[in-house]
Parts: sequence; structure tokens; C-alpha cells
Amino acid sequence: MFWRKQKAAIQRFHPLHRALTLEKGFTVSLRRDDWEPVIQSLARHTTEIRRRKWRLDERVPGALVPMLRILASDMPPDGVLSVAADMRGAELPEKKGPEVEMPVRPPVLGMHQWYALDPWLRMRAELRDGSVLELAVTDRVRFRRRRQRGSSGKVKIKTKRKTVQLVQVTRRFAKDAAVRRPGTPPPASVRVQVKQGGRLVVRASGKFREPLVDRAIDRILQVSTEPFRWTPPGTAARRTT
Amino acid sequence: MDAAGHGREEDHVNRCTVTTGFFVLGRCGRQAAASCGQCGRPVCAEHAAPSGVCPECLAAQGYGSQDPHDPAWARGRRRHYYQSSSHAYQDAAWYSSFDQYDRGAFNPGDDYAQGGDWGSDDDTGFVDS
Ligand SMILES: [Zn+2]
Ligand SMILES: [Zn+2]
Repeated sequence: MFWRKQKAAIQRFHPLHRALTLEKGFTVSLRRDDWEPVIQSLARHTTEIRRRKWRLDERVPGALVPMLRILASDMPPDGVLSVAADMRGAELPEKKGPEVEMPVRPPVLGMHQWYALDPWLRMRAELRDGSVLELAVTDRVRFRRRRQRGSSGKVKIKTKRKTVQLVQVTRRFAKDAAVRRPGTPPPASVRVQVKQGGRLVVRASGKFREPLVDRAIDRILQVSTEPFRWTPPGTAARRTT
Repeated sequence: MDAAGHGREEDHVNRCTVTTGFFVLGRCGRQAAASCGQCGRPVCAEHAAPSGVCPECLAAQGYGSQDPHDPAWARGRRRHYYQSSSHAYQDAAWYSSFDQYDRGAFNPGDDYAQGGDWGSDDDTGFVDS
């Protein structure tokens, strides 16, 4: 009866698009070209869906779709691209850490603090040079809830949140890949860890304050740069198979 | 390893040299149908724009798609990405290695040519980057 047209539209969406709309997430592994129909379905969302409840989280066009495009362009047709997307938000009980009572002074009557860990995007892509890329974007949110008596004598409860965004990108190189350490260190905001072995692993991590959605893609790309500087364009490690 | 090893010498003049990929660069490698009106590189039917200019020259002119749902978005964003990351990393070699690779329109079909077996016309399943 209500929202009949939009409900029908959702039924016509790609199943993963439908899952993002109704359940706000999915976990799936698909071959490279099987992502294209997902992206094409997502492209129709804003013209077909008005209801607030079914709006796509802005991180879908802001980070997920761009990273699908970028990683797919570096993959062979038979490469697998896995995605775990969770756009349900940091407020879920399962993401909440222990509450701590904080010392207060009047007029504040009490304050609790807790952290929530919200890993909202994880991707794994088999690239065409035989390396495997894994990326994870996690929001660490600090919540502070305080009770305070206002001038009217009424008790008010206020919750404040502060977010730090963690971006981690790991590249596992093909066996015997031609790799060389970059000539210059990464910027101070990017930390690098290296694991030697049969297959070299380079991990880059970045921490960003007060994440803005429209900057998420820039931050992911900024951290991703480091593991790829080990094989600059034109000297890329060839597939060994 | 090199599926296209045979016939490379006689073939290479006629292959599309448009750069593919984002971090792991390659060449398109499909049969060329035209050449770019600006940089002169051979381009295949898929990469030939109505304007007669190759995708990379279009992107350099600022005509890249702003919509990530567009299959051409990543390619349009690529040069800007290498410029800004080179700046953020204070690594001039990072950008110049991209620029040299991208402008070095010779040696088509090296590394990750999408053409695969050059004798085949089976172009299905490509992701246009
Ligand atoms: Zn051109
Ligand atoms: Zn081409």
C-alpha cells in the first residue's frame, strides 16, 4: 500500500544492492566482472528511492563504489574481489566497548565514556600482477554521555561523539616479485610495516581525525599509495605464472 | 608467460596503447582502429572517443567523469591521483614514472595487455578502465 513503487524498485535491484538498502551491508566474494551489474544497479538508487529509511549511506557512492572501480581495473577477469560492507553505524550494541564513569564537577551530574569500533569497509582483491591487496577502514568512535542540570533546573542528557578513522592497506606480493623499497619515506601520517618471507608483505596504516565522508576516498588512496610505491609504474612485478 | 609472444614484432604497430589499470598499469593491446588526434597514439574502437582524442588526453583536459558509477571514472581520476599522491609523499619519481609510462606509447601489449591472445577477437569480459 505505502511505498509500493519504491518497494517494487528495490525488488528489481541487484541482490547486493537490495542488501545495502534493506540490511545496510553485505559480505561476499565475486569475480571481477560480476561487480559491474552491482555498480550499475547502485547507480539507479537516487532516482528510484526517496524514502529516508531506504536511502543509501553516503559511504556507498563515496568510498565503496570508487574502490570497486579502482581495484577492478587492476584485476584480471578471473580475479576475485571480496567485500564486507557494514553501513549500520557505530551505535550498535555489538560495536560498543565497556562504559567508564568519568570524574565530573557541577553543574555536570555524571558522565560516561565508551568507545565503539566500527569496521565499515573491508576489501580483498587479487590483482593482475599476482599480488593481493587487502584494505580495511575502521571508525573508532568515542562517546561521552553526560547528565547536566540546566538553568531551569531540568536535567538534560547530552551525548557527544568524536571519531578517528583508521585506514589499513596490506599488499602481499607474488612470490619472487621484483620489488624495491621506495627511495623516500611516506608522509608522517602513514606508518609502514614490512614482513619478509617467501612472499613480501607491505602494510600501510593511517589515522585520520574527524573523518569527512567526501574525503574517505582520498584517505584510502593516500594510504594505498605506499604499498604500490614498491613497484612503480612501468617496473611492475610481472606475474610469475 | 607471454601469451602474445608470437607475432609481436609484426603486430605491435597496430595495437591500442591506451593505459589500463590504476595502481598496476598495463596497455590495452586490442586491435587499433584509429589514432588519437592529440598525442597520436593508436587506439582501439572501444577507446576511440567521438572527439577523436584518446581517454588519457580527455582526462588531462579535465573531461573525466565525476561519477564513480561510470565505467570511465577510475581512468579519469588516475592522473590527478598520481599528481596529488606524488605531492603528499614528496616523491617526484612516483608521478614521473606514471607519466613516462603513460606517455611512452611504444611497446604496446606489454605487462598486462587486455588483448590476451592477440589473434582472438573475443573481447568479452573487459572492465574498461
Ligand atoms: Zn591522446
Ligand atoms: Zn584500447
